[in-house]
Amino acid sequence: MSYNKPLPKINSDVKPFWDGCKNRELKFQKCQACGHVRWPASIICPKCYKKETEWVIAGGHGTIYTYAVYHTAYHAGFANEIPYVVAIVELDEGPHLLTNIIDCNHQEIKCGMDVTVAWDDVTPEITLPKFKPCR
Amino acid sequence: MSLKDKYAIVGIGYTPQGKVPARTSLSFHLEACVNAIADAGLKKNDIDGLICYRHFPASSDENDLTPFVVAEHLGIEPKYIYQDANCSRSHLQNAVSALDSGFCNYVLISFGHNARSSDSLLTMLNEFTGDDAVFGHFGATGGYALAAQRAMYEYHTGPETWKHIVVGQRKWACLNPDAIMHGKPLTFEDYLNYKWFVEPFRLPDNCLLNDGGRAVIVTSLERARDLRNPPAVIMGIGAHNLSTDIKYSTSMTGPTGAKKASEDAFKMAGITIKDVDACEIYDCFTYTVEITLQDYGFFGPGEGEDWFKGGTIEPGGRMPVNTSGGLLSEAYYMGLTPLSEAAMQIMGRCEQRQLGPQTNTKNPEIILCSDNGAILQSHLCYILRRL
Repeated sequence: MSYNKPLPKINSDVKPFWDGCKNRELKFQKCQACGHVRWPASIICPKCYKKETEWVIAGGHGTIYTYAVYHTAYHAGFANEIPYVVAIVELDEGPHLLTNIIDCNHQEIKCGMDVTVAWDDVTPEITLPKFKPCR
Repeated sequence: MSLKDKYAIVGIGYTPQGKVPARTSLSFHLEACVNAIADAGLKKNDIDGLICYRHFPASSDENDLTPFVVAEHLGIEPKYIYQDANCSRSHLQNAVSALDSGFCNYVLISFGHNARSSDSLLTMLNEFTGDDAVFGHFGATGGYALAAQRAMYEYHTGPETWKHIVVGQRKWACLNPDAIMHGKPLTFEDYLNYKWFVEPFRLPDNCLLNDGGRAVIVTSLERARDLRNPPAVIMGIGAHNLSTDIKYSTSMTGPTGAKKASEDAFKMAGITIKDVDACEIYDCFTYTVEITLQDYGFFGPGEGEDWFKGGTIEPGGRMPVNTSGGLLSEAYYMGLTPLSEAAMQIMGRCEQRQLGPQTNTKNPEIILCSDNGAILQSHLCYILRRL
C-alpha cells in the first residue's frame, strides 16, 4: 500500500536537512560566527544575523521537552495509528524538533525522558527522524 | 499622549449561533455588522473603518471572503480597512490606532464563520498545517496540548485545575439563553469522564466550533457620549507577540505574551489587578485561561488549582471569569467573544448573567480582558470600565 500520510515540503532552506535524514544523519545549521546551532533552517543566524553557516551532524540524542497523545485522527492517514504520540524533542545540541515517539507505550512517556533517533524510511525519497526511548 | 479613557465600545451585533446550516460566512458577517450599527444607534454612512477578524480559507461553496466583500455588501466605503491572515490579535490596537490617528471616526470590527456547517476549517487544517502534518500534528488542540503537558511537568497543573474552568464557565452559560451550552450543566465528574481527545485535553477543554457572527463598534469617548448605549471605555491596552512557534518555544508555561501585555495595559490604566471586578479571558482551551490569569498575576505557577477551587470564577464567585460562557461554552468568535461580553457587562445589559447583585458578584466597574492568537504567539490585554 502506498504511503498515505503528508510528506515534508522540500525547499532550498531545508533540503540539506532532508538529504541528511535520507543518509540517516540528523543535520542542523551551525553559525560559523557565533556557533549557535539552529532549527528551523534559515539563511541568517537569528542570534547574530551572520550568514556564514555549516551543516553539522547531531548525535541523535535528546530529551522529551513535551508531548501530546493523539486519540483523535485529523487525517485519514493516521486513523490506524491512534493513540499516537507527537512530541517536541530537545536535542543535546540545542534545537527543538517536532517528531513522534515510537516503540514505547504512550502511558510510559514523560517529559525529560531520554530519547534517541529512530529512522523511518516512509518512501524511497523520504526518511523521517522519529525518536524512541534510550534503553 | 496616553490612550487611556479616549475610546469606547458603543455597539454590539449578535447573530443566531450554534449549528445554523445553509448560511454563508458572509451572511454572518453582514448580520452581525448591521446589528452592531443599529445597536450603536448609528447609520451605515457613519462607519468609516472596517476590521475583519482572521481570514479563513473559503468553504468549497463560497467565494473568498475579504473585508472588501463585507464592505461592498454593507454599502460602505471605509477610509481604513484591514484583516489579519495569521491569527495575530491586533484588531483592537488597530481600531484605536486608526481612530487616534484621525483616519476615521467609527470602526466596525467583525467576525463571521460557518465553521460548524462548512468545510472551511477542514480545508484550513489540510492546507495550512505545513510540515507538522508529517508527524500527525494538526490544529490548535495539539499545539495547546503540548504547552499544557509541559506545564503539568513543570508545576503540576492538569485536569484537576482545568475542571474548575470548564464547570465554572458552563455555569455562566447556563445563565445565558443564547449560549450554545445553555441548559447543559456539567459536573466535575462529567468532565473527568470524557475520553481523551488530544491528551492531556478532553473535549470540554476545547472551545466550541459553531456557525455565527459577532461585531462591535469602537469610537471616541467624545462621540460615544452622544450615542444610545452607555460606553464601555477602554482604560488600558497592551500587546506582546512572542511570535515563536510552539515547536521552538520555551515560554509555553509562562511568562507568555500575557505578562508584558498586561503590564502595559495596567500601566496605561493606572490600576492593579486588585481593582479588577471580573475577567473576560480568551479561552480557546482551558489551559489558556490558567496561563493567562497566572501571567496576569492572580496566582503563581502551580497555584491555579487552589485559586480556582471553591467557585472563584463562577456566579457568586470573587473573580467572575467568562460570564457569557466564553469560547468554551457560549460561542467562538475569536477575540470578539470576550470583547463583546465585557462591553455588554459594563453596559449592564446581561440580564440573568449580569454581574452585580443579580449574580451575587461585584459590580462590573472594571473588567480585565484578553485576546490570544496562534499557539500563545500573540497576546492582547485590555481593560474596560464604566464611565
